Parts: sequence; C-alpha cells; structure tokens
Amino acid sequence: METDIIQNLALGFSTAVSPINLFYCFIGVLVGTLIGVLPGIGPVAAVAMLLPLTFNLDAVGAIIMLSGIYYGTQYGGSTTAILVNLPGESASVVTCMDGYAMARIGRAGPALAIAAIGSFFAGTVGTILVALVGPPLAEIALKFGAPEYFSLMVMALIAAAVLAHGGMLKTICMIVLGLLVGIVGTDVNSGMSRFTFGASGLADGLSFVVVAMGLFGFAEILSNLQDKADTASRDILNQKITGLMPTAKDMKDSFGAILRGTAIGAFFGTLPGGGPTISAFSAYAVEKKMAKNPENFGKGDIRGVAAPESANNAAVQCAFITTLTLGIPHGATMALLLGALTIQGIAPGPQVMTQRPDLFWGLIASMWIGNAMLVILNLPLVGLWIKLLKVPYRFLYPAIMVFMAIGVYSVNNLDLDIYMTILFGILGYIFMKLKCEPAPLILAFVLGPLMEENLRRALLISRGDPTVFITRPISAAFLVATALLLAFMIVPSFRKKREEAVAESATL
Amino acid sequence: MSMNNKIAGVVAGALLVAAGLMPASGLAQYPTKPVRLIVAFPAGGSTDIIARLVAQRLGEKLGQQVIVDNRGGAGGTIGTEIAAKATPDGHTLTMGTTSTHVIAPAAYAKVNYDPVKDFEPITLVASTPYLLVLHPGVKANNLKEFVALAKSQPGKLNYASAGTGSTTQLAMEMLNRAAGMDIVHIPYSGNGPAGAAALGGQVQALFGSMPAVLPHAQAGRLRPIAVGTSKRSPALPNVPTVAESGYPGFEVSLWLGFFAPKGTPKAVLSRLQKELVAIANSPDMAAQFEKNGASAVTNTPAEMTALMKTELDKYGKVIKAAGIQLK
Repeated sequence: METDIIQNLALGFSTAVSPINLFYCFIGVLVGTLIGVLPGIGPVAAVAMLLPLTFNLDAVGAIIMLSGIYYGTQYGGSTTAILVNLPGESASVVTCMDGYAMARIGRAGPALAIAAIGSFFAGTVGTILVALVGPPLAEIALKFGAPEYFSLMVMALIAAAVLAHGGMLKTICMIVLGLLVGIVGTDVNSGMSRFTFGASGLADGLSFVVVAMGLFGFAEILSNLQDKADTASRDILNQKITGLMPTAKDMKDSFGAILRGTAIGAFFGTLPGGGPTISAFSAYAVEKKMAKNPENFGKGDIRGVAAPESANNAAVQCAFITTLTLGIPHGATMALLLGALTIQGIAPGPQVMTQRPDLFWGLIASMWIGNAMLVILNLPLVGLWIKLLKVPYRFLYPAIMVFMAIGVYSVNNLDLDIYMTILFGILGYIFMKLKCEPAPLILAFVLGPLMEENLRRALLISRGDPTVFITRPISAAFLVATALLLAFMIVPSFRKKREEAVAESATL
Repeated sequence: MSMNNKIAGVVAGALLVAAGLMPASGLAQYPTKPVRLIVAFPAGGSTDIIARLVAQRLGEKLGQQVIVDNRGGAGGTIGTEIAAKATPDGHTLTMGTTSTHVIAPAAYAKVNYDPVKDFEPITLVASTPYLLVLHPGVKANNLKEFVALAKSQPGKLNYASAGTGSTTQLAMEMLNRAAGMDIVHIPYSGNGPAGAAALGGQVQALFGSMPAVLPHAQAGRLRPIAVGTSKRSPALPNVPTVAESGYPGFEVSLWLGFFAPKGTPKAVLSRLQKELVAIANSPDMAAQFEKNGASAVTNTPAEMTALMKTELDKYGKVIKAAGIQLK
C-alpha cells in the first residue's frame, strides 16, 4: 500500500515537473494572482473567463493550469482582503477582519506573508491527505445526507456568534438578516420565487460577490471618504508601514493557529458544500476562544489571519478529494474544473484514477508545486502590494470602484448586480456607523440557503419526522456539540469569561 | 464644399453603388463581424461544452469568430430572452435546449419569450439521453422488478432530481405515471448533488443525465436499469430502453439546437443550417459528442418546430399532472 502511494506520487511528480507542465502551473498561478487582486473577481469568475484558454492544451496541462489559476485567484483574493478590505470569496471575509486591521496599523506586510506561509503549510498537508486517504475520505463524505448537513450548519452558525466583537444581540440580528438575504431567489423545493420583486436577475438569488463587495468594499470606501480629515489620515497611516516580513514573535504566535486552522480546514473540506467558508469561520472562532487575550481579535491579531487562511487553503485542497475521486463538484469552481475535464474528453468520475493515473497523480503533485510557486511568487510581491497602499487614496478608490464594478458584472453579466452592490454598500455603511459586524451576516447568507435546503430535504425524506436529526448518529453528534457551544457561551463560567460577558452586556 | 467633404461624398456614392451591386439576399456580407452565441447556462456545464465545441468549428467555416456568451440564470430563461430580443441579422444566435424551448415555457408562470414565435429554428446538433439508475442496495435488477418493488411499498421510495422542473424530475414523473408508481421527488440543486445523493444511498433512484451518471454506472457504483431514449445507447448496449421494458412510446432526452431571433434573413439561416449540419455530422465532432455522453442529431427547421410543438404538449401534460409551477 505504502509503496503504491510512493509509486503513484513518483508518477505524479514525473508528470508535473515536465518543463511544459511546470510552465502551465506557473502561468496559472501568476495569472490567477494578478486577476485575483482585482476586486470582485473571485475564483469562479476567473476560472470561467480563462477556461477557454485551456481548450487547446492537453488534458494534464489544462487541468494543471486551471488549478493554478484557482489557487492564484484565491490567494489574490486574500491579498485584497488584507489591503483594502475586499474579500474575493466568502472564505476571505474572515481574513478581512484582522488582516485589514493589521494593514491599518501598518502591518500589511506580515499579514500578507503569514497568509502565504499558512496557506503553503495547509496546502502541503492537504496534498498529502489527498494522496494518502483521498478515496476512503470521499466515501465518508457520501455518508453525509441532508440531516447531517443541516446539523453541521446549525453548529457553524452558532459558532459564528463567537466571532463578533460587538454584543451578542447585534450578532444574532446580523445572522438573522443574513438568513433573510439568503432566502432571495427561487425556492429549490417548490420552484417559487421569493423576494425577487419580479426581477429575473434575482431568480437565482443574490450572488456572494454582490453582498460582500457591497458590505465590505463599497462601505469601506464610503466611510473612508466621509470627510477630508479621514482620507488624509488614511494616507498618513499608510506611510508608516513597519516591516514587510513577520517577526519571530509573529511566527511563534501563528504557529499553533496555522496547525489548528489546517486541521479544521481538512475536516470540513472533504464535505461537499460550504467547506472553505465554514472552515475559515470555525478556525477563527477556535483561535479567538483559545486566545488568552481574545479582545485583540478584530484589532489586527496575526492569528486572526493565519488560522482562517490556513483553514481555507486546507479545505480547498481537500475539496479536490470528492471532485476527483467521485466526479462530484464541490461548488461552482470545482464544477468548472470538471467541465474542463469533460471538454478534454475525460468523463470525471471514479475511473479517472485508474484510467488516467498520470492525470490524477499529476494534478495532486502539481497542487503542491502550485502552492510552492504561490509562496515563491508572493513573498517578493508583498513589497509591491504594499507600495500600492502608498498610492494616494484619491487615485486608489476610483480605481477600486471601477474594478469592483467590472468584477461584479463579470459574475453573471448582469447590470442589476452593480446596483445591488451599491445598495449593499449603503447598508454596509449604516452597519459600520451602528458598529455591527458584517461577517456573521455573510456566513448566514452563505449557509442559510444550504441549511434550509437540507432541512426541508431531510424532512421530505423522513416524511416529516423531525426525530431524524437526533436518531442519525453523525447529525446527533453535531447537535450535541452545538448545545455544548451554546452552554459555553451563555453560562459565563470562569474568571476571564465573566469579564467578557460583563463587557458584552455593557454594550447591549 | 471643402475638399474633405468632396472626398466623403465620392466615397459615399461609391459605397451606394457597391451596395446596389451586392446580391439582394445580403448573404455576401454575412458575417461582417464576430457572431455571438448566447448560451443560457453557466460556463462549464453540459450545454456550454457542446456549444463551445460547435462554436469553434462554426467560426472556422464562417471566417469570423463565434463567441460564446454565457447568460445563465432562472432555468435558462434570462439568456434565451436576450437572444429572442437581439437584432435578427445572424450575428446573434443561441443554443436552445429542451429546457429553454420546451420545459421553461411550459413550467414557468411567466416567460418573456415564445419558443416558437420568437425564434427561427436552424437545426438540432446533439441530444443527450437520460439513464435510470438505482443505488446498488436497491433490490431490483431491471425496470420490471423496480416497478414491482415500488408498488409493494407505495410512497416509501425516493428519487433525486437536479431541481424542481428539471428534465430529471419530469422523466421520473412520466415514469411514475406510466407505471402507476408513487416514488417521491427529492429535489437537489444540480446534477452533481443529485448524483451524490444516489451514490450515497440518500435516495433509491435517479433518472439522470447520461454524462452525469454514466461514469458511476460504468464503475459499478450505480445500477443502470433503463435508458429513456427510443433506442439503446451505444455506451451501454446491454441496458434496455424504458419503451422496450413495457412502456412503449416513452421517450425523454435533452436536445440541443441552434436558434436565431425571428426575422433573421432566410439566406443567412440556410447558410448556417448547411454549415451546422455538416459540423454536427463530421466524424470527429461526433466522437467529441460521444465523449460528452451526447450523440449528433440534425434536422430541418420545420422538423424542429414540429418537435417543439409535440414536446410542449407532452411535457405540458406531465407538468400539469405533477402540479409543477415555477414563478
């Protein structure tokens, strides 16, 4: 068995390190990074746009380049999250919280570097996991039915309440609001439209990019521009950048966070649906709970960047497990990658591994190579990105807005999406003034529709019997964990926790 | 009159003369710019893949690029509506399917286009069969046994679909009615999740699109018991059709064809018809389709119109009987 894996990996590396495949991998990562730093263009849009480029390549080259684009865009998305508070995809929403806070205190460099390092570590672990236990893990993922998914998402949402640095009540309000925003669109069960006001552009719901660009990016620009003094202070702020690379203390602080983030990401990543998002949020929540000084989170704690970035990347890596071994896409980007395989005349499915071992193991090897290239490419780029911050804000923000509009439009080619972004931007500005964290709203927005879908599906299959959630062991385990989590939060047990609770009730 | 204006006048005159000399059909000028092919589904999906394969070849034949423009959303109705309202000069075409030109108009309470009146059908290019698969744990080796099993425990079995109003639902509802079964519909969001549900045994059956379920059937992870087409599939020659398993006349497949907005010049349409039929029937394109679980099919505009009318009636009845209405 072990020799098999070594042989397989050897085959993979011999495929992936051919000069032409290394070149495709590099081009993918480079183009991905460059496109990913454009606000609003996340992995889905980037892969969709660049998909036709790969049609004339051979299958191995095409899939290697597309995965490179995927990693690159993702990393690029974290870069904008840290520098200008623009999350490229739902998982980097978490990175915004402490990453952008770090940038505001002149520590964008360490934040960017730790994101790259954490991602690389998580990517390496993820690659090893895929190679070692990919197929059996995929079988476990199949055991997840509707009740299991529902209970898992309940747990994730409750965990989100831990995230907020504001009061509990505000967080719950934001979660409920996120759930409502997530309801917009066609109901999967009945096919009826909800809250679409007759606009066909809303029939498939609001896209993540619209909500996130509005609440984070657009709102941030509004708040930066609200008066001259602020813009000026922002410019001054960016002049006093301290150090590009993480200090020894940063590395020591992040070490545990990266390990835990990786483990959390690997766990959630194998489950189809919501993996990277849930894992980034959970990793952040865990770090905050474990920290001796949780009050630092949200103000630029490096662990708040290291953990979710590692978790996110580990999850992405593990997402390839079900995509490759079962041919079941793990979200929109994975569906596109499978589409690329199909165009190459390869039917995605369990046989890929046996019929095209060069492709399967070549991709796994190139995942690791791609991750390594990302670090090599991005650590030197950190300096360049920081320089971008020195561009006077009066030049920077119109550029961001233009790219944001292009990015938002490119997702569905719908102008309605741009107007919706403006609407969410204004809403985001109001939230900022009210000191309401938008992150829990985003998590609820992403998970809400999945949660509802699975709740109703579970009840359809059980013919309306709600005990299905506690009679199935995996589902019951998640619900018990949720109950413990709730108890943990509501009963302010010991010393420090009590202080926190007092502080929280004071803000209510 | 300045010199520039004189030159402009001469040029304009020459152009008028040239235009007069052109054949009245307007064919000689087509295409004068890249042709836009609207695909009403996202990039990377099965419709998009077929569209891109054909678009590339069509571009070579026309001497102008054919650019695929993905306008997904709302079950394909958004993109199809854009195509219906585009300038009818042959520079905008759309890849219509059973979903956009039959099911959506029949199932949605309101669709802003008429599949027959707003389009000029050109030709079909491909069709994708549907395959009825069971989770291997289900105790039935053929359709007859499956029907008997379902009838012995009415309302107990479940089937997955790619969504409410999708072909995967309608195919199973048609079978439910034909065989007098009562298998319960569990909608999923797309072919991928529906396939996962069948693989994991969350549901017992799935009348899935061939490209989505064939790999699993070949790997022995799902048990194929019948194909929905009128003829057996070359990919699975041992699997009988639903029709030959006791339900004559049963046919469900997804066709894909080219449409132009109503009013596109006749000469342009016949040129496109000729090129597209040749492309779809070329051996290498047929091989490409095969790899994607589809097979090449071509026909005439009149046959396409007749097909749409028959299917609007056929699916309309199932949609009504199953109480499906999308808003």
